[in-house]
Amino acid sequence: MKQKSLYAVFSLLMVFSMLLAACQPATSEATEAPMMEEPAATEAPAAQQEPTPTDRRGGWLDEIDFSVVASDSAISQLQADAIDFYSFNLASDTLPAIKEAGLGYTQSFGGSYAISLNPAVFNDTTVLNPFSNRKIREAMNWLIDRDYVNQEIYGGGSLPKLFSITTQLVEYTNLIETARALETKYAYNLDKAKEVIDAEMLGMGATLGDDGKWQYNGAPVTLAFLIRSDGDGTRQPMGDYVSNQLDAIGFTIDRQYKTASEAFPIWQGTDAADGQWHMYTAGYLPSGLTRDERANFQQYYLNTSVQGSEPFLSNVSDPEFQQLGDDLAQGTFSNKEERDDMMKKALELSLEDSLFVFVIDQQVYAPYNPNVSVTYDLAAGYESSFMGNYNLRFNDQEGGTMRVGTNDLFTQPWNTIGGSNWVWDSNVMRATTMGAGNVVGSGGLMGDPYTGLAWPQRIESAELTYQTGLPITQSLDWLTVNTADQIDVPADAWIDWDASTQTFVTVGDKFPEGTTAKVKSVVTFPSDLYETITWHDGSHLSAADFVMATIIFFDRGKPESPIYDEAAVPGLNAFLPSFKGIRIVSTEPLVIESYSDAYNADAELNVLTNWPLSPTGLSGENSWQILAVSNLAEAAGELAYTSDKADVAQIEQMSWVGGPSLEILKKYMDQAQSENLIPYEPTMSQYLTADEVTERYANMQKWYEEHGHFWVGMGPYYLDQVFTTEKSLVLKNNPNFPDPADLWSAFSEPKVATAVLDGPGQVTAGQEAVFDVTVNFKDQPYLPNDIQQVKYILYDTTGTVVSVGEAEFVSDGQYQVTLDADSTSQLQTGSAKLEVAIVPIPVAIPAFTAFDFVVIQ
Amino acid sequence: MSVSTHVPSEKLAIKKPVANNAFLRIARYVLSRLLTLFVTVVIGIYLTIVIANMGGYVDQIIKGSIRDRVTQAVAASPSVQQMDPAVRKKLIEERIALEEKRQGLDTPIAVRNIRYLSNALQLDLGRSINLTSDSGSKQVRLIILERLPATLLLMGTSQLFLFFSSIFIALSLSRRYGNFWDKLIIALSPTSAVPPWFYGIFLILMFASALKILPFGGMVDSPPPSNTFDYAVSVLKHLTLPCLSLVLSSFFLSVYNYRTFFLIYSSEDYVEMAKAKGLTPRAIERTYILRPTLPTIITNFSLLIIGLWTGALFTETVFLWPGLGRTLFQAIGQYDIPIIVGSTIIYAYLLSMTVFILDFIYALVDPRVKIGK
Repeated sequence: MKQKSLYAVFSLLMVFSMLLAACQPATSEATEAPMMEEPAATEAPAAQQEPTPTDRRGGWLDEIDFSVVASDSAISQLQADAIDFYSFNLASDTLPAIKEAGLGYTQSFGGSYAISLNPAVFNDTTVLNPFSNRKIREAMNWLIDRDYVNQEIYGGGSLPKLFSITTQLVEYTNLIETARALETKYAYNLDKAKEVIDAEMLGMGATLGDDGKWQYNGAPVTLAFLIRSDGDGTRQPMGDYVSNQLDAIGFTIDRQYKTASEAFPIWQGTDAADGQWHMYTAGYLPSGLTRDERANFQQYYLNTSVQGSEPFLSNVSDPEFQQLGDDLAQGTFSNKEERDDMMKKALELSLEDSLFVFVIDQQVYAPYNPNVSVTYDLAAGYESSFMGNYNLRFNDQEGGTMRVGTNDLFTQPWNTIGGSNWVWDSNVMRATTMGAGNVVGSGGLMGDPYTGLAWPQRIESAELTYQTGLPITQSLDWLTVNTADQIDVPADAWIDWDASTQTFVTVGDKFPEGTTAKVKSVVTFPSDLYETITWHDGSHLSAADFVMATIIFFDRGKPESPIYDEAAVPGLNAFLPSFKGIRIVSTEPLVIESYSDAYNADAELNVLTNWPLSPTGLSGENSWQILAVSNLAEAAGELAYTSDKADVAQIEQMSWVGGPSLEILKKYMDQAQSENLIPYEPTMSQYLTADEVTERYANMQKWYEEHGHFWVGMGPYYLDQVFTTEKSLVLKNNPNFPDPADLWSAFSEPKVATAVLDGPGQVTAGQEAVFDVTVNFKDQPYLPNDIQQVKYILYDTTGTVVSVGEAEFVSDGQYQVTLDADSTSQLQTGSAKLEVAIVPIPVAIPAFTAFDFVVIQ
Repeated sequence: MSVSTHVPSEKLAIKKPVANNAFLRIARYVLSRLLTLFVTVVIGIYLTIVIANMGGYVDQIIKGSIRDRVTQAVAASPSVQQMDPAVRKKLIEERIALEEKRQGLDTPIAVRNIRYLSNALQLDLGRSINLTSDSGSKQVRLIILERLPATLLLMGTSQLFLFFSSIFIALSLSRRYGNFWDKLIIALSPTSAVPPWFYGIFLILMFASALKILPFGGMVDSPPPSNTFDYAVSVLKHLTLPCLSLVLSSFFLSVYNYRTFFLIYSSEDYVEMAKAKGLTPRAIERTYILRPTLPTIITNFSLLIIGLWTGALFTETVFLWPGLGRTLFQAIGQYDIPIIVGSTIIYAYLLSMTVFILDFIYALVDPRVKIGK
């Protein structure tokens, strides 16, 4: 009996312990929304240090060990000191656990979620599609309590989203008063949603039954809702919430829980008019710190959307919105003011269209131990930052080995032409390269992680000339900007490539009558460029590296080329119409001119260095000799840069770091060395000497013998060891890197402002009222030079915007808002609100503060 | 009267046909068995192919996914945004066509299915659609071979330990039926309802997170030690938790099964007779219990050996163990049919060969079994 009791107790204990573990919540309870809070890790002590001068070259660390760590165990592994930093972004519902563990964290945008609505009038006319009515789509904005969704589903760690532009980033900041006013207008209001929808439904011939359910042609109005059950798991509760809201106002909901693979063929694969769906929980990934989102209106709402499929094709938008969206996407405006006005109107009209009802801009977090300092891109996080690896360090320490865990490594073969583009692989590749400025062809600049602009890293000077009237603005003073009525492209500039003669086609050849460009950039490199900059294998950078990177971009898309790849053709064909030429003005010092008809709205992002970085927009640098050897393997049909060509030819895709490629590349390296091969000799021989060729191949051989791979860059770290099966790698500091480790220390943390608003609690209508605004960064005044604008928005008791204006500068960090008698006279008796938005220059995130007061007559 | 020592010719005439009959009987059996197994393999593989691509539905899924991926990529390019919509649409369609061609979607599904089947039967495993081996190869053969050692190490260690320890302990318990340990095993056998990955999470929490004495996952430290001894120690350290979770999840039920199995045989009349004759318990175990159970034990062992091939899908995933199970898990998630088929065809061949060989082994270990009868 005693034994039986013992067994029973023991068994119960086992079962209980398992149940306990199974019932443990994945995350702690919801916390407050971080909206308008500082996005950076609040606890990271490193971020609070003043940069100290150092003699150290390259990166701050001696070594970085990357390995693959399951995201589920990332926080536990940090707590157990098994890793120092988990660099892959975790979903926002992990924020409470990260905070509870006392870890630092990066905060960035992880993608957005929206409800996609079917706008079509169904072929079966007996079935009513309420969302074919624009007013009902618009009313959906009042129906959804985005704050509730954020708190309950995203742990309070994300941002409620109303617009197709990214919440609280560059465009949003530019349009701040319009955005805030619209957010107030479309704030959660179930009664208003019901009122509008009731009126429209009745107008469309539906009736409300005794059971409170909408009927049409004698049948309930049933909405087929494709709710995604996969991914991060948040779309399902979001879909359920929206379903409940619709159910509450009389709709019958057919909740269809589906994975992406099940839902996608119905959502975009069927004719919207077939009526197989009404709603879909859509999600979009972030595209980095995009400064220019004017094309989003066309992309997310109009039937001219770049997506070119349903449900966009079925959407019949308001003609004014259609025109605005198309004009914005095409850049049909003459100056920034006109563009901003169009954007404001488009914001308003997009909500009236609401083909997509946006719900959440998800925030994601990468946790690290408190002794670690991390610089990260505000939009896309550390792994997408150009500066991240440059500034990664232990606090108060130079050197050391940092153990970094990430989601995966070597997901696809590594080569800079058509290899892996996965964020975790690209992050490591970037550590081995010079910086890049957020656009293809801008290597040697450094992308600003907080504004998306670019800073000079390897260039001496830059000059930009653009056609008068183009809406290009300059924010930073490191480049000279001019305008010209016409920009003529010199006849000797290269504009295309002749693969059969292996020479460039000049503008004179292609356009004997001459041609023009909309923008011209001239970049001058330092006179000691070739002496100070070396590849990791010891070879000195030369002009040949620049030329080779340019050639390879063209050559792969030419059928006459031995390395022709049809996968390169669409990209080349898309590039050529806007490409107007490149000219190497001199090689010592190196001066390169670039001409183009494509342009960015920011002057800084139009500077093209033509640095020997991946010519196809991947990460990683390519020396001419690795391309020469790789070309031999590709031309022989043994390897292919791209997976497209490899699959069609049934050969291996080229990897410069592992697998069967290495032996093949070694064979061709030996061949190239024995022949002292000059690739594309008719052109490249003008930039290469026999000695350099000999030295390059010898260095390449030596590097391969020492490291067992071909991945060579010029960055602050070099790839020392690769373990593809074990999924880990070792980066080591590059002591020959020309810059000190603290060069970018000023960017150690985002300078996000905090603001406090104070003033009278009672204001008499028709009388002037004065409010004080304090703007700080870490308890120190935010300097006026770093503040672009301090705007105020005055709301009345109904939440309607009464007036908008700018605060006056008083002293460092101090501003004053004066509401004149006209403004206050428009306020009704009751409560009113004054909101202030601070738009800083060093970061793209604005700060908000609000003050409620009582209005008396 | 003389006595002839010659064998009568009639006898010879009678004996020879018996030998020939036995040979023919076995040959006929072998042929029919091989044919049956081959047809079974063909059907199994074809069903795998059809199920893996859901009768062609996966094509729609993949095409939709390609369109989404390509349009998103194109939409993200600033230069494309300034293009004329018609030119942009053409660019998108070209890219989609290229990607569909790369994935073989330009070939009719029926043709692809036959091609998959034909190649699979010839053990030409072909190339994967999306997944690559860790070293960057798309050859299914290399993807599988690269992951095989890790799976064999994990599964071999855990399953062989489980098998032999279960038999040893079960035999021992069957001798001590009803004692404390026997009851404890019975009481704990329901714990095998819990899958190994669940034990894995427990063990990680306990030994990696709380006690910090064993790693969370992976197969070796990062970076891997350079000398062989340290490397082996590191692998052993990483092997402990996944191995333990696999053993724990099946141990009690396995012991309980074998113990019950041995108990049934222990109560046979001939065992009682042996006991009555005064034979030692060891002799009884070896001669009267283990011997008749050999076919079953051999069958279990054989299936266990080929079962090593499949790996442990979820356990490998929880522990980030770079084995075949995890690869298969990823392949299923990405509809990478060549890898799914490649893994299945090898298992199918191994299984059919095992079944075939077992028929002969049964005949060898059990005199009651005759081949072909």
